[in-house]
Amino acid sequence: MDKLLCLDSISLTYHTKKGETLALDNLSIDVQKNQFISIVGPSGCGKTTILSIISGLIKPSKGNVTIEEEQVTKPSSKVGYMFQRDNLFEWLTIEKNVLLGLEIMHKKNKETKEYAKALIKKYGLEEFSHSFPSELSGGMRQRTALIRTLATKPEILLLDEPCSALDYQTRLLVQDDIKSIINEEQKTAILVTHDISEAISMSDKIIILSHRPGTVKKIVELDFDKKLTPFERRSEPQFSKYFDMIWRELL
Amino acid sequence: MKYSLDHKKYLRKLCMQDIFIHVCRILLLALIIGLWESVANSGIVDPFITSSPSRIINKLSEMFASGTIWNHIFITLEETILAFLFSTIIGSIIAIILYLCLPLKKILEPYLVILNSLPKIALGPLIIIWMGIGTKAIVTMGVLICVIITIISMLNGFIAVEEEKIMVLKSMGANKLQILTKLIIPATLPNFISVLKINVGMAWVGVIMGEYLSSSAGLGYLLVYGGQVFQLDLVMTTIIILCILAGIMYFLISIIEILINRKRK
Repeated sequence: MDKLLCLDSISLTYHTKKGETLALDNLSIDVQKNQFISIVGPSGCGKTTILSIISGLIKPSKGNVTIEEEQVTKPSSKVGYMFQRDNLFEWLTIEKNVLLGLEIMHKKNKETKEYAKALIKKYGLEEFSHSFPSELSGGMRQRTALIRTLATKPEILLLDEPCSALDYQTRLLVQDDIKSIINEEQKTAILVTHDISEAISMSDKIIILSHRPGTVKKIVELDFDKKLTPFERRSEPQFSKYFDMIWRELL
Repeated sequence: MKYSLDHKKYLRKLCMQDIFIHVCRILLLALIIGLWESVANSGIVDPFITSSPSRIINKLSEMFASGTIWNHIFITLEETILAFLFSTIIGSIIAIILYLCLPLKKILEPYLVILNSLPKIALGPLIIIWMGIGTKAIVTMGVLICVIITIISMLNGFIAVEEEKIMVLKSMGANKLQILTKLIIPATLPNFISVLKINVGMAWVGVIMGEYLSSSAGLGYLLVYGGQVFQLDLVMTTIIILCILAGIMYFLISIIEILINRKRK
């Protein structure tokens, strides 16, 4: 398989008035094309920081990040970042929210607009195109946020706890939603979460980070039938085995 | 749509409450006017000191009949609108510059705070000497009163925009100008409207104060003049005119607010 993303011995030190904190220490991760990777770890281990580094929002103190052998120095259209909250702009319609990325990147033309509209239609938001975010449910809003991220055709999707702001029922639905959309669009995804079952139900591979300074503690390759949805995975016999294993690692 | 009997009852109750409030408002005004008129007529208070509604109406019709009042109204209105526009535009531009250049904001912060707490009327003598007597000095006074608070409240609105939303745009590769135009300005539009509402009131304060300092015409001039020659009818009438004009301007801003909100839903 071709290596799409490569984090090579990344370290990151935060500087504040009170002192300096080593957040990430000599962390290396490789991600293949079309893989779904989850990063779990104790709180404060720098999970979100990893995403910020991949997206080019933060520069690592040491080490290199490359996407398709090209070094990441600033945000690029190869990466789409989806945050914990949907962050939809309340004053824009759903369609305009989805087109936001294209507009920022000066890529809004007939072709890209058609693609974005096709996504809206494909994922059942067409009737809400001209509605405002406040008229949508939490799950729909999160789906809109995902489509907004997809509209710029990124190679890699970064998902920072995209379900944690939702109630339990909606969370299960949105997990199925996100996974099926990412499969359908054949994207590579990196999910950061503190929810072990979310990680197991959605990913191909789980990276467990150590306490701060964060470094790779263990990598777990998950073996599930490819056709299962995240929800269906939860009732598989190996689910609890994985859960137990990861739970122990995080203690 | 067909409503149940209970719902109709509920709607009726809401409607009655609405009517009750409006009737009370009108009654309150009528009560004040009636009481004022009767105590002034019965000699309990001296109408020479308190004036009275009937004297105010006489004065009003006299002023409008002779047409002298129009000149005063136009002058003050012009000054107020100019002060309002200048302070809003200058204040917004400065707030945007300070937001785009945060070190500059940090440098200027203590000066802004002091200027904000300074009673602007203290600058009166300087304004008159630098700007001369007349419209320029009065508008300057109005601008000085509004502009600092405009800068501060707009800047606070800009800074309060959620950091994560800014990160969303940054992760799309947005530059500072795009963040400003796509996010900061539309997100703080409601804040901008409340600034407009405050500025309408403050511009009137500034302009009337400016006219107290130096003027030969205008509603502020009429107030000072009326006080000096002990014509309380003139003072009261001018206050009534001011109330009406300030109310109209506030109403116009409210209409703008409704139009903007309708566009954004």
